[in-house]
Amino acid sequence: MTISAEPHIRSGQWEDSLNFVALNADKAAYAELFNYFAPRLKAFGMKMFGNEQQALEMVQDTMLNVWKKARLFDASRGCASTWIFTIARNVRFDMLRKKQSRKDDISADDLWADGDYPELEESSSDQWETMLLSEKLAPYFDALPIAQRLVMQKVYLEEKSHQEVAEELDIPLGTVKSRIRLALDRLREALDDTRS
Amino acid sequence: MTHAVKYHPGMMLMEQYVEGTLAPDVALAVATHIDLCPHCQRLCQDIHNDQASSLAADDAPVMADDFAALFSAITAEPQLEKPRKTQQRDAVTVNINGREFRVPRALSRLANQHGKWLQLGGVATAKLPAGDKMHVSLLYIDKGTEIPNHTHLGLEMTLVLSGTICDENGEYGAGDLLINTPADTHTPHTRADEDCLCLSVLSAPLKFNKGLTRLLNPLQQFFY
Ligand SMILES: [Zn+2]
Ligand SMILES: [Zn+2]
Repeated sequence: MTISAEPHIRSGQWEDSLNFVALNADKAAYAELFNYFAPRLKAFGMKMFGNEQQALEMVQDTMLNVWKKARLFDASRGCASTWIFTIARNVRFDMLRKKQSRKDDISADDLWADGDYPELEESSSDQWETMLLSEKLAPYFDALPIAQRLVMQKVYLEEKSHQEVAEELDIPLGTVKSRIRLALDRLREALDDTRS
Repeated sequence: MTHAVKYHPGMMLMEQYVEGTLAPDVALAVATHIDLCPHCQRLCQDIHNDQASSLAADDAPVMADDFAALFSAITAEPQLEKPRKTQQRDAVTVNINGREFRVPRALSRLANQHGKWLQLGGVATAKLPAGDKMHVSLLYIDKGTEIPNHTHLGLEMTLVLSGTICDENGEYGAGDLLINTPADTHTPHTRADEDCLCLSVLSAPLKFNKGLTRLLNPLQQFFY
């Protein structure tokens, strides 16, 4: 477990905060979001841009959008952190494009649909669960990104429920399901490559 | 949709697309594929969740800064109203050879601004105002038409928007993404009874292999 100086994050906390911001322009709720995400966005910006000025510009535009667009957030489409991440990604993309100042050029709005695709029903991954037990996949398992490997290990080796894993790792339930599907897709790709 | 998409961008392209680090013209082909491919729509959502969780993780790197001034400036701003209804973009169509094609969401704004159609035999192209490094265009191929055998001097991404393209390696229907590199040579053609519209993203001209090179030279410029 990681030791954190910050108070424990309750699941659903950021979604609630966003709703308060949306309903009442609640500054206290916004402060919670701001204090948690602004420093993280700055670190993310430093990694992507490699300089402080642009990183700060990204934090500023992203957090401004979180405040202004809070009423557009729809929790049924995904969790708050995903929403904030996509805002930051789009801000960063358009910042890089603006430098080249071509107004007809590809924009973030063209590239990312903002979640207006219809929901798909869960497809069964049963056949993969049996495949996972076979030794054929073992070498590829180690090549999975660590976050995905951790989830897979807890679900398939320690036989924990998705909910238990979400609580243990402090991540949204949707992310647990996403990481399992991503890991399965990667394993499938690795296996297909060895076949062809 | 009756046709199931068979050729997908692959995990690495999808991850860079979600991260926003893919070259914009390549990302445009990936985005258009996703519009047409339910499998990749979900994959895309999964990658979003995964990457966002890393950003929001408890142990994410944190920078100590004094953001008090920024906080006050932001909370002094008015908030946006929730739109009554999410506005759907109007369906955008392109017309060529007496046919009308509807283009996917990702292309709708750019397709409205396409350049004029240049036609040569059964093939027509119209540039999109998108590329900086790559050459991005709509490519129309009439029924029963062959594009001469060629090698690629760079990356060629072809996304089928309507109809079918066949080449030595297989058949590609709406939503399928063909990626060819300098290692690939092929002779794409349409079926006898069906024309085809594609999005084409090229990083370098094509190199035609057979026939009278002098006659094919203008053809090379036509595609690029
Ligand atoms: Zn796909
Ligand atoms: Zn080709």
